[in-house]
Amino acid sequence: MERLKSTRDILVHREILRKEQATEKQTVVVCGGTGCETFGGSDLYKALDTTIKDRGLENKVLLKKTGCQGLCEKGPLVTLWPSNIFYRRVKESHAEKIIDETVGKGDIIQKLLYTDIQTREKVVHQEDVPFYKKQHRIVLKLNGVIAQDSIDEYIEAGGYSALAKVLEDMKPEQVVKEITDSGLRGRGGAGFPTGKKWEFVQNTTDSNKYVICNGDEGDPGAFMDRSVLEGNPHQVLEGMIIAAYAIGANRGYFYIRAEYPMAIKYVQTAIGQAKELGLLGENILGKGFDLDLEIKKGAGAFVCGEETSLIASIEGKRGMPRTRPPYPAISGLWGKPTCINNVETLANIPIIIEKGAEYYSSIGTKGSKGTKVFALAGKVRNTGLVEVPMGTTLREIIFEIGGGIAKGKKFKAAQIGGPSGGCVPEEYLDTPIDYESLKSIGAIMGSGGLVVMDEDTSMVEIARYFMDFCQDESCGKCPPCRVGTKRMLEKLTKIHDGKGCRDDIEDLKEMANATKTASLCGLGQTAPNPVLSTIRYFMNEYEDLLKTGS
Amino acid sequence: MKEKTIDLRPVKKIVAGYGNDKDSNLIAALQQTQDEYGYLPKQVLKEVSRLMEVPLTRIFGIVTFYSQFSLLPKGKFTIKVCIGTACHVRGAEDVKTRIKQLLDVKEGETSADYMFTLESVACLGVCALGPVMVVGSSKKAAGCCDGQDGQTSPSGDKSYGHVKTEKIEGILESYSSDKE
Repeated sequence: MERLKSTRDILVHREILRKEQATEKQTVVVCGGTGCETFGGSDLYKALDTTIKDRGLENKVLLKKTGCQGLCEKGPLVTLWPSNIFYRRVKESHAEKIIDETVGKGDIIQKLLYTDIQTREKVVHQEDVPFYKKQHRIVLKLNGVIAQDSIDEYIEAGGYSALAKVLEDMKPEQVVKEITDSGLRGRGGAGFPTGKKWEFVQNTTDSNKYVICNGDEGDPGAFMDRSVLEGNPHQVLEGMIIAAYAIGANRGYFYIRAEYPMAIKYVQTAIGQAKELGLLGENILGKGFDLDLEIKKGAGAFVCGEETSLIASIEGKRGMPRTRPPYPAISGLWGKPTCINNVETLANIPIIIEKGAEYYSSIGTKGSKGTKVFALAGKVRNTGLVEVPMGTTLREIIFEIGGGIAKGKKFKAAQIGGPSGGCVPEEYLDTPIDYESLKSIGAIMGSGGLVVMDEDTSMVEIARYFMDFCQDESCGKCPPCRVGTKRMLEKLTKIHDGKGCRDDIEDLKEMANATKTASLCGLGQTAPNPVLSTIRYFMNEYEDLLKTGS
Repeated sequence: MKEKTIDLRPVKKIVAGYGNDKDSNLIAALQQTQDEYGYLPKQVLKEVSRLMEVPLTRIFGIVTFYSQFSLLPKGKFTIKVCIGTACHVRGAEDVKTRIKQLLDVKEGETSADYMFTLESVACLGVCALGPVMVVGSSKKAAGCCDGQDGQTSPSGDKSYGHVKTEKIEGILESYSSDKE
């Protein structure tokens, strides 16, 4: 492929691609997300491919595999274009029927349609499925639309125009201002204003600066970043190139968990494609800006999601945090100014640049702008990947999008924010989701894990589970976290086994507060949250266990 | 136990591939070495230390810090049971208990016939399908596990979603037929 030498070239390239694709081809889209793959998506894809070739329809029907389409529970998913017919739970054995009946004759196969949980009616089109209706997809817009491994489809859909705009018309200061004005806050959990972070790095005078994409999604119960990296790696990449331009970095790293081999593969492919097209490497789009990116694989340590640990890991050390300040923005990788952003944060960047800060800040609440992607899992009917505007309530997500609790059970709690978050009981289900509201009820936004629990889940057991996780993942550097998590786990186990007394709960509270206050990094500072929130809202369950014990 | 002689040529080749930027590539080199040998034998680590001019103590510090590394030989297949929150509330613990029973191993151990190593993993990111387990060949052996009821990813790993405890024996047996 020929290198694009100017920002104009990208427009020309897009026009050519659009013309090529303008023919009225029927398209069969198979979801290639991990969920659908696990249910047999690959075999289905092969079967469809074989059938299309058998029928000699290669020139009339296009088959493609996209990233996660969201409704993982009902996978594998197939969508047909342009009719937009949506099939779920499709098996390999349905391939011939789909090609012969739906593609060939336009007949709808009733048994593959989604059934509305409330009305029991069949739903033909994806956009009418309640799961999708309430969502506002901007980050995930192209997930499920473009092929996972195609830079052309990304460009055709408008991709890399934000980069072109930045390089052509905007000074780094203007880019930072735009991001600041948009109100975007870090999607990794803490919610630090992204523009401010960029500004810190931009203001440093060092000639060597780094940009890092934090793809170490370690929260058990979260798969948003995985889905974005697998489904639309170029959007993250574009965000990262823009970030590098804004802060003045010429080198950068994608840090991705080794547990996500597919994400690593697709990002690797995306980097290669971008280099080939001149969107990465030397003299990007002929504008004299250079950027080199490479992937670093994580090796299995939750604490590496913390920025200073992540930096240590890239430097080839044990991934242990250090005290801040200095913040990585001043002294990060190899002691140089470093800008670390989460996958979802970076995926938002091209949208903000393209549509403007004003558009972006019109979505969401006063303090939390834009949308947030959640991984909806646990005991809810429609598990999957969900994107909603900030300010949506938990009730809307769980009951309207998620379709309520599975197997007709009663809702008990929503765990939001993973091991750093808290359990939200029913009375707070109408809390709008934004950084501050969640904090006020003892949870955190976190990276986006949302696990629903029903009446059968023991909250003490859940608190114990998270403490077990944090204890295991504590790096051991600072005693409050190392000792605190261990002792809290012992107490929780004692209570859970029915051997606890009232003093144990008091001790637990005291230890939780001490660990929270004195720990070095986010892991220890937030590890007590599940304990504190379950004590706050589900004290009766702790008490029930005490009674049976003594 | 007497150490077996291990072929050090692969590790030499791997280290050579990492050029001069040795500090930051240490972890990547160890990852690739483990892919090659299936685990990290002592002799091999000594060789990495010598070639990369990194003290063995630092290497030991790294391989014991990150859960991905193993200093012990693994079974032909590694079973990773996801114990992420979503899987947990859907019964991951029962899945693990059943496998422990069937293989007579504790977590992290390898069955007596060196067929299976049982591990748990914090989150595989397939939360929607919990409980989930992944069975993969410990050493690169592409195509070794075709034909079972599950899905093979490019790495040769096969994931099983909505795992039911009563199905586990059958899943494991389908691999045992793979014995030479």
